[in-house]
Amino acid sequence: MTESLIWWSIAIYLLIAVGIAIMSRQGAAESMSGYFLGNRQMNGFVSALSYSATTYSAFMMVGLAGLTYAGGVGALGFEIIYFAGVSLVAIFGPKFWAVGKKFGYVTPSEMLGHRYNSKHVAMAVSLASCIFLIPYSAVQLAGVGYLLQGITDGAITFTTGVIMATMIAIFFSYIAGIRSVMWTDSLQAIMMIVASTLVAFLVIQGLGGFGALFDTLATEHPQSLTVPGSGLFSFVTFLGLTIPWFFFSLSNPQVSQRLFMPSSLRAMRQMLIGFLVFGFIYTMVSVLWGFSALAAFPSLARADLATPTLLASEFVPPVLGVIVMVGIMAAAVSTIDSIMLTLASMVSRDVYANVKPNVSEKRQLLVGKFVVPVIAILALGFAELQLDLIAVLSVAASSGLVAMVPAIIGAFYWKRGTGTGALVSVVGTSAFVLLMYATGNSLLGLPSGIWGIVVASVLFVGVSLMTKPHQAATDAFFDAISEELGKKRSHKVSPPVQEANV
Amino acid sequence: MKPEFGKRSKWIWLVWIIVLLSYLVPYTLLSNVALWYGSFLFWAVAGLIVIALNVFITKDFEDHSND
Repeated sequence: MTESLIWWSIAIYLLIAVGIAIMSRQGAAESMSGYFLGNRQMNGFVSALSYSATTYSAFMMVGLAGLTYAGGVGALGFEIIYFAGVSLVAIFGPKFWAVGKKFGYVTPSEMLGHRYNSKHVAMAVSLASCIFLIPYSAVQLAGVGYLLQGITDGAITFTTGVIMATMIAIFFSYIAGIRSVMWTDSLQAIMMIVASTLVAFLVIQGLGGFGALFDTLATEHPQSLTVPGSGLFSFVTFLGLTIPWFFFSLSNPQVSQRLFMPSSLRAMRQMLIGFLVFGFIYTMVSVLWGFSALAAFPSLARADLATPTLLASEFVPPVLGVIVMVGIMAAAVSTIDSIMLTLASMVSRDVYANVKPNVSEKRQLLVGKFVVPVIAILALGFAELQLDLIAVLSVAASSGLVAMVPAIIGAFYWKRGTGTGALVSVVGTSAFVLLMYATGNSLLGLPSGIWGIVVASVLFVGVSLMTKPHQAATDAFFDAISEELGKKRSHKVSPPVQEANV
Repeated sequence: MKPEFGKRSKWIWLVWIIVLLSYLVPYTLLSNVALWYGSFLFWAVAGLIVIALNVFITKDFEDHSND
């Protein structure tokens, strides 16, 4: 792979992506919901691809392949349990969508603040999301830096890669807000899945086919096909990894915010099923990459080298290798720009507008647009430091975001939940998770991934029972869900008598 | 919620049972099966079943009026 081939491929990718981003503009988005939610009019196909690109970061192609290389089939189990957790969208999605439509929410934290009648809840959720997601974005940027540096043997420096990824993410966010992010995400998702599947196919063929690959694994690395296998996926570690990820679709605001966007429940269904099909293929491909690298190159110095080694091997034509490289870069960018937009909307809507009441929507949007590059620069700064702390915080991100889960579930299913309960649960659990990571991430032999959900639930339920819920806000919220979801298609309208039993 | 909408939602419990089995089976019954049709196949099939269940669970979404 020559340096010029890499630059040309990046240039072509940018040209196409920028073109798509510009075409996605449909007049200037002047409202918060226009800029950050695409006016709640996103169709199912684009939503599915964008949801996929946002969720699957560079972690899949590099991280999951490496995890499979190091720990074996347990990596597949970890992803499948996360994948099953996305079914939460089938339960919570319509409810999010219904209240979003009714009350005009732009952010999930705004929804929680309104449901619990507490501005402090909205602010706490926004700030906790920033604490856990900015370092997570930094890891994506660093991933691009390391990838370009590694693949060009240092000709493209780490800093060049990081700055380039940041600029692209800001640019995509700015052109037309979420609309351009979703359309460029769609391009990126298609690129990711086609190129990576082709690579898996070529490599497995090169190794003698699916049967030969698994025969090699069974005879030479039998532990890679079982759990705990080599020991990486001990049951406790497996639980610690899978529990926070199971709730990913609810706990990560850049993902749950998308539940406000589909134009209809039909579009939401397409988004969910499309994502599941995409995710399944992508998971299998990433795991097969890891297995292939293990069979072909069993003595790599580091498991994270599995993907770069495969791409540079004789199994993959250079042009395809470079397409996958751009695909990984695109995967990172699509995750970062979505996180930036979500965090910007949360800071402007739930922190700024709550600190300065009666501020106009136009002003909120202006602040949101100002916050986008600030978040990007913070993430860039974190990435440039190349601290171990970043890696630690990125692992902590999924554990920390679990702090919101009981408050979210309670919002829809427990009328007795209170604002104080939600606030204490979010703040207390966030502090608890950070403290656990600062002190070695083990309490009674269990990691924060397991403790987080327990602590958050106990705090939410316990404090709620000791305090009083805001009855009017609770009733309005539940009534809105019944009302919105009670609407049937016109040709199937039920008689009024039946309609009354909402 | 109206009885017409979300009546399939109880089927979500099948998804949670698949999740539970995804923890239990590979760590017990399949822990000594070092072949492709051990944990690899189990989790792959579990993923496909999850997709099928979601298609079924969300069928009601099509019936909803969207104004």
